[in-house]
Amino acid sequence: MEEETEEELRTRTERKVKKAAQLLLFRRHRTPGVKGWELKKALGDNYMKVIGVLNSTLDRFGMEVKRISEGGGTGIDEGEGKEKTERDRFMIVLKNHLIEKASGARIDDVAMLSATLAYIISKQGKAPRKAVEDFLSAKFPKRRVYFALDRYLKQGYLGEDDKVLYIGWRTRAEVDRKTLLDLILAS
Amino acid sequence: MKLDELFRQINFCKTIQKESTDPFDLNVKKFLETLKLYLKKWKSLDDLLLDAEAISELAKIIELQGKWIRDRSSSFYIDPVLMELKLRMLEPVQLANAFFESWHPIISLDRITPTRLKEGLNYWNALLPFSERKEEFPLPSTPETFAFDINDLIDLNILSTTEFEDSIKAISKDLEARGRIEYHDFIYDDEFENSIKKAYLTSYLVSEGKAELDINPLEGEVFISPSKVNANTGDVRSIPISLSYEDWQKWKRKQKRNYGQGQKGR
Repeated sequence: MEEETEEELRTRTERKVKKAAQLLLFRRHRTPGVKGWELKKALGDNYMKVIGVLNSTLDRFGMEVKRISEGGGTGIDEGEGKEKTERDRFMIVLKNHLIEKASGARIDDVAMLSATLAYIISKQGKAPRKAVEDFLSAKFPKRRVYFALDRYLKQGYLGEDDKVLYIGWRTRAEVDRKTLLDLILAS
Repeated sequence: MKLDELFRQINFCKTIQKESTDPFDLNVKKFLETLKLYLKKWKSLDDLLLDAEAISELAKIIELQGKWIRDRSSSFYIDPVLMELKLRMLEPVQLANAFFESWHPIISLDRITPTRLKEGLNYWNALLPFSERKEEFPLPSTPETFAFDINDLIDLNILSTTEFEDSIKAISKDLEARGRIEYHDFIYDDEFENSIKKAYLTSYLVSEGKAELDINPLEGEVFISPSKVNANTGDVRSIPISLSYEDWQKWKRKQKRNYGQGQKGR
């Protein structure tokens, strides 16, 4: 078998990185991002290395690949088993909060989301829905609170299990929870 | 053997898990001592299952206690009371700003490719007309409803045959005495319940051809009169006439007004 030249290797890698970028940037499912097994199928066994190269390229544009595990971990460097990596979801997020405005949401809705997340995080990641509703109702009408919580659930910022709210996959992907708590306490 | 204490402890474990209260509120040592007391008395399979459930719930609480300690020692731990107080003090704008500064939105785009468009077109072409696919969109199931006919009412002992016939005769006589009259004026009575009963019986009069309905669709008026020819022509059609409590109340008010004006006019 002929050995692959350096040029050929570079071309192949570039092709794979390009494919990985397209897979991660363009939505293929209702939830953004792709699962590890999908990346493996499209990029081969070394898909984590391809993601590593893509990550360093994205870094130049202020973006990064984020890995979200069902158990709550984040970050692509987590040294965990192959099977778990294949179950994890990969997505591209903005690395820094540089842009002025990246959402069309009303300030009230963002405030409610911020307060809800901080409240739930401070309660070890889950809180009864009724308690959250009562807490938010101190500043907003009940009807708006109900709608807002339902929207956050639909968007993936929150999850609900037997009337208990918990931090959703989207919060784990998008929100730096430590920074959020620090900023709130420092305000 | 009283199991109240054990059930109370199991329920307490479940409450802690559900409401995320402090898992250290449960005295594990005391729980185990209680279980030990019961251990010698267990006899049936149900007793053992209860014992297993208690141990399982206790194990979950111990796991939660471990998690609780880990959370408290992590950088995420903030006293919930302090956080709640802080959140209550902050303005919505401050909360929103904190969110935006810790937010790293997902970058995701939707794009329809020519291939996907072609797939969509092929799907459309292969799709059968809606009229042929109605079973794919079933109507929401509704409880089966049916109407009671006179025989059902007789079977249920709500009415007797003679009582029913007597009532029909009385209504027929009343109609003959009053002649052509507006339907609601004929049906409505001092009591709403009687009005409904009268409407029900009148429908039989009309169905049997003993009374005629004269409908003026433009004015929305319905008149009833005794039939000149006592026979059903065989030309059957249903005429829905609405009756409601509100409508009956309006009719009653109108009757009172008319009566009052009549008294003044004297």
